[in-house]
Amino acid sequence: MPDARRFQPIEQLLESRNDLWRGRHRPAGDALTSGRAELDHWLPTGGWPCGRLVELLPERLGIGEFSLLLPMLAEQTRRGVPVLLVSPPWVPCPQHLERVGVALEWLVVVRSADQALWATEQGLKSGLCGAILLWHPRSRVRSQAIRRLQLAAECGPAPAFVYYKPGQQPPPSLASLRLGIRPGPELTLLRGNDQSKVLHLGRGNVIPLSTSDMAPTHSRDQPERSDRIACKGQTLWESVQ
Amino acid sequence: MRGNRLWAGVHCPALALDAIEQVVADDGPAAVHEQLLGQARIVQANHPALEQGVRPGQRLAAALAILPCLHSHARNQRAERQLLEQVALVGYDFSHQVALAPPDGIVLEVAGSRRLRGGISALLETLTEQLHHRGIAVRLGLAPVPAAARLLSRLGRRAPTLAELHRQLAGLSIDRLALEPKLADLLSGCGVKTVAELMKLPTAERARRFGPSLNRHLEQIHGCLETPLAHWMPAQRFSLRLELPTASDEVSALVFVFRRILGRLGDWLRIRDQALTGLNVSLEREDGGSPLSFRVSLARPGFDGERLLELIGLKLEQIHLPAAVDAIAVKADSTDQHRPPQADLFSAHNRADAWPALLDRLGARLGEDGLAGLATRSDHRPERSWSWVSPGDSSACQEQRPRPTWLLPEPRPCKPEQIRLEEGPERIETGWWDGQDCRRDYWIARDRQQRRLWVFREYKPRTGWFVHGIFD
Repeated sequence: MPDARRFQPIEQLLESRNDLWRGRHRPAGDALTSGRAELDHWLPTGGWPCGRLVELLPERLGIGEFSLLLPMLAEQTRRGVPVLLVSPPWVPCPQHLERVGVALEWLVVVRSADQALWATEQGLKSGLCGAILLWHPRSRVRSQAIRRLQLAAECGPAPAFVYYKPGQQPPPSLASLRLGIRPGPELTLLRGNDQSKVLHLGRGNVIPLSTSDMAPTHSRDQPERSDRIACKGQTLWESVQ
Repeated sequence: MRGNRLWAGVHCPALALDAIEQVVADDGPAAVHEQLLGQARIVQANHPALEQGVRPGQRLAAALAILPCLHSHARNQRAERQLLEQVALVGYDFSHQVALAPPDGIVLEVAGSRRLRGGISALLETLTEQLHHRGIAVRLGLAPVPAAARLLSRLGRRAPTLAELHRQLAGLSIDRLALEPKLADLLSGCGVKTVAELMKLPTAERARRFGPSLNRHLEQIHGCLETPLAHWMPAQRFSLRLELPTASDEVSALVFVFRRILGRLGDWLRIRDQALTGLNVSLEREDGGSPLSFRVSLARPGFDGERLLELIGLKLEQIHLPAAVDAIAVKADSTDQHRPPQADLFSAHNRADAWPALLDRLGARLGEDGLAGLATRSDHRPERSWSWVSPGDSSACQEQRPRPTWLLPEPRPCKPEQIRLEEGPERIETGWWDGQDCRRDYWIARDRQQRRLWVFREYKPRTGWFVHGIFD
């Protein structure tokens, strides 16, 4: 008499093992490593959460908010998983991307700003992209739009990131993770249990390329003085909470 | 040899109507009329119209008096011919020997694929079903010779053997033979009413009184004489132009026609074992203006009707139709170098084709420039060392010197007192060979917000300080 359990569908068998790595497929609730042990440790989700919307609120553009995600983008594209950059503020420099290990053939840029939200939603719903980064194009951010993106993000196995530019008023959010980014860069959790937690990722707006290059003692204890001064009185994001 | 052959005749009793209904999305009473002796007369009418008393042969004015809501369209023989080709294409899936029998029928040899299709009855049933599915009403006939198959298809009769055929033919009345009206009158004038009576007349007598063509026809339907057939082959390249009986600028009406076109394209691709690479569409304007053209390209050869229809819908929404469209012409680019879609072993989700499909969908709405990949180019001038390319076409060449995370689309002038230089300079002096020579010193600098900028001081052709990028 053959054991019935031996004839489970293969899909079920594979699902039941969480120690099995199945290429492109990732079980839900998983997180992608950010490429930096310190950051992974700091993030409440242990990395960039898959199937979730992450909101990033840089105090101004160009202070490390894109470099923050580059190791993850590099890892995804190296595995042949496409990533989508939607309406970035400037042109991502291909030489730099290449240098940090991004495989350019899997990087697609949506340049048109007026279709940005639609394109993001399509990308998320397809479940094919390894990550989608959206620089919110509208000056007024509607909470329904963000809600739609969040629902769409749940279809896919990838994390989705929305950047709000300085001056954009982010809606009261339902996203699982909202990070404030200040020059340094230093990261603040704007949602979550421990909002006082601050991570100094680099200094002088320079993030070391890999973890091994990082000197945590520097970044943690001696943030550059000039940054501190620059940050004083910047209460833009505090009002959001 | 002939004994092994079996021919199916396909007769399309409502071809004129079907050809119109292919491009008109309407369930109401409809008919087709044509000009006969200076009068518009109904040729065919659909069921709702027939129920209300519209009859073929009726004058159009009379039909409209009976049924004012009748939509009657002028007969389009070109569309009928195209539809007949479609019938032949479907038939080609069942047989390698297909011949057109214009104006409204085809014949095909079916004995060869009898076993493949599970017997003659099953074969004929599938064929009928497939044609019905494409909106073509048919009647099938079966006979060991093609001329008889064509004849029996008009009557919907089957005669699988020669003996059975002769028996059925003998009982046929003369008017069923679809002879020329003049000849038919002549025969009935002689008192000949059935085929059996006609066959009793001596052959020489028949030839003398009714001409040689009648004898030839009789011999062909009885299988005594080979019927000459021009074998039909599907076209080498798919090209179709459908005329809309009423011009329309509504996207939904055009999408309806596109659905039909794609249906035929799908059949053609399958039968010719081709994969679609692109579709050139031309919308012809009612006002005679130059046609609107667009192209739908596929990132990967293949065919998925629903997906393609979605892409076309996106394109149609984008273009503003300046006038109503009265014809749609489609030319397909296809290739036989293709790999059938493969499903993922574990999840059965076809991933390899889904990514190009997503790019197609995004590209259709965003336009050629809206969606891009990035490529590096070997040029010393930083603004020429990269370019937008179509997604997936990226190339990369190594660059050892520091390059910023972001490039500004155009260098922006800045004041030197607003920045603090930190690293540099990197001298770039190049471009004299193409008249775009420049001399610059690049620096990494900080602005007042402590952002690291990529700035340069230019000496040639302009002078001054410019921001070119941002080290994120």
